[in-house]
Amino acid sequence: MSPAMAQIPQEAALLPRRVRNARALWLVLIIMALLAGCALLLARGSMRLSGDWQSQLSDTLTVQVLLDETSEWEQKTRLARDTLVPIFDGADIAIKSQADARALLKPWLGNAALPDSLPVPGLIDVTGQNLNIEKAKIALDGAGLATNIDDNSRYADQLITTARRLVSIGIGTLALILLAGLSVNIFATRAGMTAQKEIIRVLVQVGASDQFIAKLFVGQAFRRGAIGAAIGLGLSAILWLALSLMGDWGGLGWTEVSEGAADFIWLIVLGILFAAICAAAAGLTATRQLAYERKRL
Amino acid sequence: MSSLPDLVNFERVALRYGRGPEVLTDATLDLPQGSFTFLTGPSGAGKSTLLKLCYLSLIPSRGLIRMFGKDSALLSNPERQAIKRRVGVVLQDFHLVDHLSVYENVALPLRVSGQSRANYNQDLVELLQWVGLGHRMQAFPPTLSGGEKQRCAIARAVIAKPDLLIADEPTGNVDPVIGRRLLRLFAEMNRMGTTILIATHDTHLIDELDARVLRIEDGRVFTGKSA
Repeated sequence: MSPAMAQIPQEAALLPRRVRNARALWLVLIIMALLAGCALLLARGSMRLSGDWQSQLSDTLTVQVLLDETSEWEQKTRLARDTLVPIFDGADIAIKSQADARALLKPWLGNAALPDSLPVPGLIDVTGQNLNIEKAKIALDGAGLATNIDDNSRYADQLITTARRLVSIGIGTLALILLAGLSVNIFATRAGMTAQKEIIRVLVQVGASDQFIAKLFVGQAFRRGAIGAAIGLGLSAILWLALSLMGDWGGLGWTEVSEGAADFIWLIVLGILFAAICAAAAGLTATRQLAYERKRL
Repeated sequence: MSSLPDLVNFERVALRYGRGPEVLTDATLDLPQGSFTFLTGPSGAGKSTLLKLCYLSLIPSRGLIRMFGKDSALLSNPERQAIKRRVGVVLQDFHLVDHLSVYENVALPLRVSGQSRANYNQDLVELLQWVGLGHRMQAFPPTLSGGEKQRCAIARAVIAKPDLLIADEPTGNVDPVIGRRLLRLFAEMNRMGTTILIATHDTHLIDELDARVLRIEDGRVFTGKSA
């Protein structure tokens, strides 16, 4: 090997690594990645919350045993519980005390003392999985009991709708932030091409194809997007972790390590997507700009 | 020489910038393959404009330009780029990239054509040594003298062994010794088959070689040193 061959220099980057006035762009990308990360974590937290609410509410129901007289309370409530035991095998079935049942009326009737003769319904709380309401209703009717079964569906639907709205808001915000990221990169690529017009002119002169030149800007934008995403999304993860550790704030935070790990994987996917969007915006813009410049010739 | 096909043909080519007057009028010329041609004429006569048309940096206002046998107006973008890779260009203002070293500037045409560094490194180093830039390979253009910049631009133009070399005042900034050495390089390239077109004011340079001379005056092209 000749001395010249022994010292083959590394290929230098054709676009300068350090660009003047690039700090503002870095800051924008990091903030966008941070916001995108928060939007993603909000959406993921809302999904978890929705799932939790759904499973919690679907696993509980309350049976109201309607009474004609107060004296029937114990006999009919116990009969109802004994009827439910074989239907809800393995479920936790508990009779609420009369005092508890009366206390539930306070929001509607105020603190006034209720007459003892008022036949407050007997209440039975059932907690378990796959509770078959239809079967319970038939069994209770068969036992000659007048009952209402409240499976919480009224609240569940409202809560799930609310949680779904939160998910939609999170995903919508994320989409808008990524769209803004696309626009920022289009603008940054145009500005970069203007700043690097000398090297572009030389490359065109030596016969570089549009793809060759566009690839330079794609690589630059991907690197910029990846670093911006790593910092911004990392900050969003730290923020989420801090908020989770600070206490319960509606169940949106991480309560288990597995939740944090799953969200972390999603953040990595988002980071790759963010960098890819930056690169795609740069590639499309550079190609279009080169074609436009050629037409202007 | 005249039996060889023409690399470049101009037929009644004219060019005006914007709505201004024609800076080139009905220019008709040909550059046969393997020819060595000097283009001379007073400043502002249109030499640089004619060269720019030759390396497809400008589109004529009217007339026909044929490059390597193809009508330049009908070239697709890849065809245009392929032709540019066959043309080496040395411009008066050098067009060096400031953040790239001399080595990297000269390597540009080879990088663009996808060659690996291991393949061209030795040739490139030898060429740089030959043009007197062996000790300045890692220097950056802002630190080079005018002559060094010019030699760097020439090295970049010839490194890919182009079929056509176009040079605008290539010896304008170098001392007579280097100037003669560069002229020898062009003559050697021409002997190896490269078609050469050099725009120059330097009558001594023209006298050094027995080459065809085209003269441009008032935007029109004539054959011979003087009218």
